Amino acid sequence: MAREVTLLWWAMLGFASLVLLGVTALWLYAMHRAPRETSAEQARRINRRWIVGGGLLLPGLSILLLLAFGIPAGHRLLPLPLAEPPLRIEVTGHQWWWEVRYPDGVVTANQLHIPAGRPVDLAVSSADVIHSFWVPRLGGKLDMIPGRRHVLRLQADRPGTYRGQCAEFCGSQHAHMAIDVVAHDEPAFQAWMAARRELRFSPPPGEAGAVFEQRCGRCHRVAGVSEGGRAPDLTDVGSRPSLGAGTLDNRPGALRRWLREHQRLKPGNGMPAHDDVTPETLDRIADWLETLAP
Amino acid sequence: MSRDMPSPEAERLHERFNAVWGNPTGWRALTVVNHTTVGLRFLVTGALFFLFGGLLAMLLRTQLALPGRDFMGPDLYNQVFTMHGTVMMFLFAVPMMEGLAVYLIPKMIGARDLVFPRLSALGYFCYLFGGLILVASLFLDIAPKAGWFMYTPLSSAAHTPGPNSDFWLLGITFVEISAVSAGVELVVSILRTRTRGMTLDRMPLYAWYILVMAMMIVVGFPPLILGSILLELERAAGLPFFEVARGGDPLLWQHLFWLFGHPEVYIIFLPAAGIVSTLLPVFAQRPIVGYRWVVLGVLSTGFISFGLWVHHMFTVGIPQLAQAFFSAASMLVAIPTGVQIFAWLATLWLGRPVYHVPMLWLVGFLVIFVAGGLTGVMLALVPFDWQVHDTHFVVAHMHYVLVGGMFFPLMAGLYYWLPHFSGRMPSVRLGRWGFWLVFVGFNLTFLVMHWTGLLGMPRRIYTYPTGLGWDWPNLISSIGSFVMAIGIATVLLDIVLHFRFGLPAKENPWHADTLEWATSLPPTSYNFASLPEVRGRHPLWDDPGLPQSIAHGEHALAVIDHGRRETWGSDPLTGQTREIIHLPGNSWLPVIAAALIAGVCLSLLTRAYGLAALFALTSLGVLLRWSWENGAHPKAAPDAKTQPGDPPLHSRTCDGPGLWGMAVTLLADGALYLSLLFGWFYLWTVAPDWQVPERAGFDQRLLLASAVLLAVATFWQRRLLVRLRQGDARGLAGGLAGVAGLGLLHAVLLLWALLGGELAPRQTAHDAVIAVVLGYSLVHGLLAAVLSALQGWRVRCGYVGVETPYEPLVVEQLWYYNLGVLWIGYFALVLFPPTWGAA
Repeated sequence: MAREVTLLWWAMLGFASLVLLGVTALWLYAMHRAPRETSAEQARRINRRWIVGGGLLLPGLSILLLLAFGIPAGHRLLPLPLAEPPLRIEVTGHQWWWEVRYPDGVVTANQLHIPAGRPVDLAVSSADVIHSFWVPRLGGKLDMIPGRRHVLRLQADRPGTYRGQCAEFCGSQHAHMAIDVVAHDEPAFQAWMAARRELRFSPPPGEAGAVFEQRCGRCHRVAGVSEGGRAPDLTDVGSRPSLGAGTLDNRPGALRRWLREHQRLKPGNGMPAHDDVTPETLDRIADWLETLAP
Repeated sequence: MSRDMPSPEAERLHERFNAVWGNPTGWRALTVVNHTTVGLRFLVTGALFFLFGGLLAMLLRTQLALPGRDFMGPDLYNQVFTMHGTVMMFLFAVPMMEGLAVYLIPKMIGARDLVFPRLSALGYFCYLFGGLILVASLFLDIAPKAGWFMYTPLSSAAHTPGPNSDFWLLGITFVEISAVSAGVELVVSILRTRTRGMTLDRMPLYAWYILVMAMMIVVGFPPLILGSILLELERAAGLPFFEVARGGDPLLWQHLFWLFGHPEVYIIFLPAAGIVSTLLPVFAQRPIVGYRWVVLGVLSTGFISFGLWVHHMFTVGIPQLAQAFFSAASMLVAIPTGVQIFAWLATLWLGRPVYHVPMLWLVGFLVIFVAGGLTGVMLALVPFDWQVHDTHFVVAHMHYVLVGGMFFPLMAGLYYWLPHFSGRMPSVRLGRWGFWLVFVGFNLTFLVMHWTGLLGMPRRIYTYPTGLGWDWPNLISSIGSFVMAIGIATVLLDIVLHFRFGLPAKENPWHADTLEWATSLPPTSYNFASLPEVRGRHPLWDDPGLPQSIAHGEHALAVIDHGRRETWGSDPLTGQTREIIHLPGNSWLPVIAAALIAGVCLSLLTRAYGLAALFALTSLGVLLRWSWENGAHPKAAPDAKTQPGDPPLHSRTCDGPGLWGMAVTLLADGALYLSLLFGWFYLWTVAPDWQVPERAGFDQRLLLASAVLLAVATFWQRRLLVRLRQGDARGLAGGLAGVAGLGLLHAVLLLWALLGGELAPRQTAHDAVIAVVLGYSLVHGLLAAVLSALQGWRVRCGYVGVETPYEPLVVEQLWYYNLGVLWIGYFALVLFPPTWGAA
């Protein structure tokens, strides 16, 4: 659907460039041409021609043309009822991460997996301040407003990964609020969902397990381990493309770095610094988190 | 000083005028109310704030030059970008344009000063103090950091604790006193103080632009002032207007903000376009083509601009029909703008253009502004806006419109009027360098930024990762911004040097047509020793000898022995003179009042509410003292004698400028009240979790009784004043005291309704709005009672009577207004809810 907007853009750019060049050229010519005597009658005629032609007709017709293309295009982007209701995914903005809920109970964070080739409805809202959901290559943006749930319809024509980012200024870490959108072909999407439906884990052994339960688990959920609801669900964190809503690429070892330095990497984020936990324990928790994947 | 060979006769006249109008020096310079001085103070202060805001922009571009930089942390970055927008909009663009208008308007319409000189001074000091308070917050690291648009809930107490947002809400509201007071003053001055013969149709175009701008300020700023008051009440007192859980709605803030915010863009652009319409004909050496077309264009821009605020909110999920409407309305504004651009083009086409530095800036304006306008039309297209909204594309668009539409014409204007400020001509060479550096630097910065936005870079992020294609365009933008900064430094250097090395300006150096060039260069504080009659749109082209004949006192009001500062009071349409307006002289009251209001602002910031109340009462006292020194008061015009054949003094009539001032002020006040009612109905219909409490909250019979009482008082006063107009002042003092007493009683009933019932303004937005509606009428009721009591006292003192009936008539309007407001409030609060199914 973004393709139509792209086309609109190039057409508008071409037209606007012509107008700009035309007006500038006229203006410069008017300044530099040799002055000549004009009768009052001629002056009146020029006056009428310029103001009516340039001032009224040119913008008036351009606007009509633009609306004639633009309003239907906008209409087609709306989430109108379809014969077969599209997949509806709830996306909720938090300072500064994304909560993603699928209809059959699959929950994830900071990543959105969708089927390619068919429309998807995203029901967006916010848990705190106003955010805005936006994946530039897939289409327009829609504000996520507390107390309201609006629907944004997207369609990825081809499988691939697309980067999204919060577009409404939402406070200190607005810059670190990205979301990885992955479009799969139909079988791969079904497989992705199926792998997460029954995902369960058990806590890491020893002190790491105790620390996770006492601290991390109060805010984070890991299916089978903890039920915290204030922070991103970590059940499949090991399989996510990035950490901290796009702050770090999720390479091997990245979780260790994140746990130790997250307040330096993403200052002000909601997770407390873990200064009083020994680095070894942190590493052990990080290593365990890396295994949380289907 | 280049007073062109003044004859001894003109010199003597000047000395006598100067004795009445001259500015004191030293500490007493703070008492100056003269529009020339106040205007220059606005301009210099605005320029300093511009440099500060520009410096902030340099910090932002330094941070964004490369990916992943930590030159500033997120907290500081957010303060800096919020302050950049705030300073540029509220402390530079609007005050600068107002300052120029304050300086020029009286001179262009042939008046000696603005009509409320003390108000000009008060406005300036409010601007200065408010601006300093805001800027200070950045140095204390507690500056606003929720963006210059202050969207709630981000700006609310829950998500931005600490005084940051309060600085914005209180500081900006304080600064807006200056915007609104200048708005009122400019409207009344333009309508009521034009020189003899200047019909509306002969007014210089600049005055038309300023008239429309000032009206837009009067109507456009109140929604923001109301929004700021409500949000501050929510933050400080817990009244939940914008909080969903208690029945408020954050989108209400966005509506109130953009209801102001979009007209604001035209409030900035129109005066700049006015500069273009003034300069182009002078440099083309022929009258503008299509004067009436241009006037029509300006008026319709003013109207349309109030109908397109929602285009800032296309992504908040509003119904498609509304989007289509606002989309079309936003594009519609291209038509009046197109008319102006082609009128300018035709003027150049038919004229014989002359080249000077101001012309360069005008060409720069055209290119940049037209480009910005075209991207604006694109943005008005909803599906495109969904794509680029809140990206750097919009940042680029907005800077094209504002820098192109405001800064470039402003620079053209500054170069054009420099000889007026200093009596000297600017240099050509340095001026050209400055222009080209700014022009190239600007386009380097912002042309590329469109592309950055299309590549998906959102606004207001303090850092970005590498590898998204944003690295190069950002670096180029940052380099461009430094080129632009060097350009601005060059311009500044040019202007500073010209005060020292510029060649003395000849009389009317650009061969202009408007009256401001008929003063001496630089002008005296009274502008004109005598006020000429005009017979066309181009007084100086019609009679190039005007500067001399004016200085020789050959025109009207050339007598000064009475020691009064006088200017014409004229008919708003025909420009026929109706009375002589006598203006107050220099006074300490404005600066004292502004300092006390600053005290209110600071004590609210530190949450010292007792102190704030004390400051507020003291400043009210000072303002009442101010109103005391009017009319027949010994410090105003105790002696009403005028020259034979001249009309009477305005304070001896029933139709002075004060009536107009009051009416325009009430228009602003009414816009504020309407915004409040808009909020009430908006929440009823749209708030996602609107709650209507079971109990009524307040005793509706009390409200009814209060409204009836107010009606009785108002009509009693009306009878008294009808008799006064007919020359019968018997029992006036006692009557006014009685009216004030009734007014007080009505206020007490309102207070009882507000406090005596079960209103719980902290629990629901429903009750919070009711409390504000009642509080609004309460404050207005008290004020009206005090003012009428004061008029009764003035009758006793002999300042008001059959000969001087003017002031009670000014106050009377406030009573009518209050009466209307209270009854509308009664309908909205008591009669409307049942129609919506509420008990």
